[in-house]
Amino acid sequence: MADKLHLDQHISQKFNDELEDIRNRALLMGGLVEKQVSGGLQALLEGDSELGNQVVHTDHEVNSMEIEIDEMCNGILARRQPAASDLRLIVTVIKVITDLERIGDEAEKLGRFAVDLANSSELPAYRKELRHLGDLVESMLRDALHCFARMDYEAALKTAARDDDINAEYETLSRLLITHVMEDPRQVKNVFNITWCARALERIADHSVNICEYVVFLVKGKDIRHTNPKDISKSLFS
Amino acid sequence: MSTSTTLNDIIPGSPAIQESTKVDDVTAMLDSIEGTVGTTRVENPKMEMREVDVFYADKQAIYDVDLDVARNEVIAMIGPSGCGKSTFLRCLNRMNDTIPICRVTGSITLDGVDINTREQDPVLLRARVGMVFQKPNPFAKSIFDNVAYGPRIHGLAANRAELDEIVISSLKRAGLYDEVKSRLDAPGTSLSGGQQQRLCIARTIAVNPEVILMDEPCSALDPIATARIEELIDELRENYAIAIVTHSMQQAARVSQRTAYFHLGKLVEVGKTNDIFTNPQHDLTENYITGRFG
Amino acid sequence: MSSTTEIVQASLARRYKAESRFRLYGIVAISISLSFLAFLLISITYKSIPAFYETQVQLTVNLDAEKLGVGASPDIKAIKTANYSGVIKGALREQFPDVKKRKAKKELYSLVSVGAQYQLRDFILEDPSVIGTEQTIWLIADDELNGLVTAVSDVTDIGDTPTRLSEQQRGWINTLQQQDQVKTGFNYTFFSAGDSREPELAGIKAALIGSAWVLLVTFLVSFPVAVAAAIYLEEFAPTNRWTDVIEVNINNLAAVPSIVFGLLGLAVFINFFALPRSAPLIGGIVLSLMTLPTIIISSRAALKAVPPSIREAAQGLGASKVQVVFHHVLPLAMPGILTGTIIGLAQALGETAPLLMIGMVAFIVDIPQSIVDPATALPVQVFLWSDSPERAFVAKTSAAIVVLLGFLVVMNAVAVFLRKRFERRW
Repeated sequence: MADKLHLDQHISQKFNDELEDIRNRALLMGGLVEKQVSGGLQALLEGDSELGNQVVHTDHEVNSMEIEIDEMCNGILARRQPAASDLRLIVTVIKVITDLERIGDEAEKLGRFAVDLANSSELPAYRKELRHLGDLVESMLRDALHCFARMDYEAALKTAARDDDINAEYETLSRLLITHVMEDPRQVKNVFNITWCARALERIADHSVNICEYVVFLVKGKDIRHTNPKDISKSLFS
Repeated sequence: MSTSTTLNDIIPGSPAIQESTKVDDVTAMLDSIEGTVGTTRVENPKMEMREVDVFYADKQAIYDVDLDVARNEVIAMIGPSGCGKSTFLRCLNRMNDTIPICRVTGSITLDGVDINTREQDPVLLRARVGMVFQKPNPFAKSIFDNVAYGPRIHGLAANRAELDEIVISSLKRAGLYDEVKSRLDAPGTSLSGGQQQRLCIARTIAVNPEVILMDEPCSALDPIATARIEELIDELRENYAIAIVTHSMQQAARVSQRTAYFHLGKLVEVGKTNDIFTNPQHDLTENYITGRFG
Repeated sequence: MSSTTEIVQASLARRYKAESRFRLYGIVAISISLSFLAFLLISITYKSIPAFYETQVQLTVNLDAEKLGVGASPDIKAIKTANYSGVIKGALREQFPDVKKRKAKKELYSLVSVGAQYQLRDFILEDPSVIGTEQTIWLIADDELNGLVTAVSDVTDIGDTPTRLSEQQRGWINTLQQQDQVKTGFNYTFFSAGDSREPELAGIKAALIGSAWVLLVTFLVSFPVAVAAAIYLEEFAPTNRWTDVIEVNINNLAAVPSIVFGLLGLAVFINFFALPRSAPLIGGIVLSLMTLPTIIISSRAALKAVPPSIREAAQGLGASKVQVVFHHVLPLAMPGILTGTIIGLAQALGETAPLLMIGMVAFIVDIPQSIVDPATALPVQVFLWSDSPERAFVAKTSAAIVVLLGFLVVMNAVAVFLRKRFERRW
């Protein structure tokens, strides 16, 4: 594996394997969450209650994976006392899986709304408005996970910057939904649900930003949270 | 963060890093070390070392090292065996003088005064810069005489009462007094390993030095004795500047404020211990503290 | 897995056999050396037994002033030169009145040692008032008589025990024995007298004191010099070609035959410095030369064995080089140095050849009072006695060897004691 942290170059082969295992599991969990998000979105857009239920059930799996990876990380902290990049990897994984779990919760929310919507008397057409936001968020999550997999902090910085677009899209969508309510006040419940879904998508994007920031911490050892972008580049490229 | 190596490290993707990160190519990396990564100097240092080279006959053991020891600070020196960290430590109180083939160049100052001049007496220097060794090595004397030896040869106590006071306060500061107060006449070698090492520390501080050098002080001790010594080091920091060489990275991480990483006689990186152990700048440092090949 | 077990098991018996075989070799080797030692000790001790016994004959002597050839109130000089021999002979004639022939009389007289007259003289000197009285006193018997009565219980039936006593003499002895006029006791003379031509009068004391003086000189000369040399070479000397040369030569010196040192002593101390011949001073100095390398080598080994960490610790506290050596290194090396010294002195104690060269082989009757008095040493005394024709000197020689060995044992015991004391402190 040609990563930047030389995870395979420890003198202890077992340590290599353990770190690799943790990282793989985190990526696997990421893949699962990614599938959950796209499934939830699809169920919502297509009114597929079965898919929605599936998404809801997948959450258990995500939760148990989080616990499992957490335990493995604790074990490594206790037994190996990792330092430097190894320490950062473990800390990053612990944080990434927390965010992944939250993303999983948001995806579960999407699934529940999808089931609710599918069971309601009529499917509101404007739910399709979520598609654009959903696509943006999905690709952002995917890119964030790719950055984590490749430990590519430059791409991570770029990906994190896309949060602004998503926030703008979310604003637009909110305004659009308000217009729908104004046109037809009886739709207020459905519109409210859709707003919740949009909100969930926006949260997923925020968690993705977190993951990107962890990648920068992992690779560069710099904590860039709550820092403005100019300072970030200054501290990273000075 | 001023050397080319560091820049290579910071900007990924450039061809230089692809080559230099090949861990088996250590020699090339070492040749590329132009200076030391990190800040070697501190404000108002206790000891300053500038361009220090050490030779054993024709073989160079230390290459051009700059480093400061700050007041009331523990600086840890880590690195693989044979990296020169102990040799470097022994320059600080001229213990290398005892090795005929050893030659030290460059300047080492204590409070701004060069210690390697003819005028500087090594005996006086060693009274000011004490040393604790790897193996607990109490003299074949009683506990009391062990601690009293330094004050006696230097004439620090005018009478027996003063000597008693020095010995007792040193033992107290070394956290050993309560354990040995009833048997100060017992031989120093009758103590346990950890107690012996604390006796050696008491012996060192009885001379009231300004700097204490420790050469792997816990390598022969069990974890509990080690923890007690580490606690003691932390307490001693209030009054002394301490430089410690250790093979245990965890120990360096626990006791020191700054850490210096030596590799093949060069000082590769110096920095705050926190930074060194979470985000070392040099690949060699990283490889060493994370237990990678290199 | 099982195959490993089988292979190992197959070789186990062979391995254990090799082990027990080796153990057996060791035991055999030790037994051989022990039996040699035991043979030596037993044979020497056995042969030495007669030397530790002294036989005395009880005679009634008539201390008549006329017979003694002194006046009624003699002065000390007259007493000293009195005719004791005649008185003793008279007493013997009185004891055996039938002996008339000249030859038989001579044989009779030879039963009592020539030393008996001195014994009688001392007796009178102690109390001159006994002159004119008749006294019954114990007098030293001849060495042949002593040898015979300590060897057999019945002197008339001696089997093939070698003796120069005639049948007639043995008959007289038997008569004396039956009258309880012969007694055998511990030989104090052996430990209180100097050398003598007469075995029954010869003692070891002069040689013992001579050896002690020699050893004292040897110790006083070699110990400080050797220890100082060892300390300098080990702790202070720079490592260069000169110190290498010195080291090699010290080792060579240890291998030089001891007689060469004797020649050196003869040439330098006696011929050049004109120091007194046969004196323990010269003997001691010559033996010191021989002992020096032994002590230097063992002292250096002892100094080298002191852990460097102790030196570093003291230096780290700011002790100077001399302080480090004298406060820490030397006390720790002392037991080893002492052991080396004792080995060296034991070697010196047993050395004969160089002493012969400087004249310590002389016949010395007087106990030496100082290191410049003529003296002999134990091994030289052994050498001298072993050369003497009288049968009784065989026993004396063995006895002297026993004393020499005893001296060695005492010396080693002292060494062990000293070392224990030094070590017990820490």
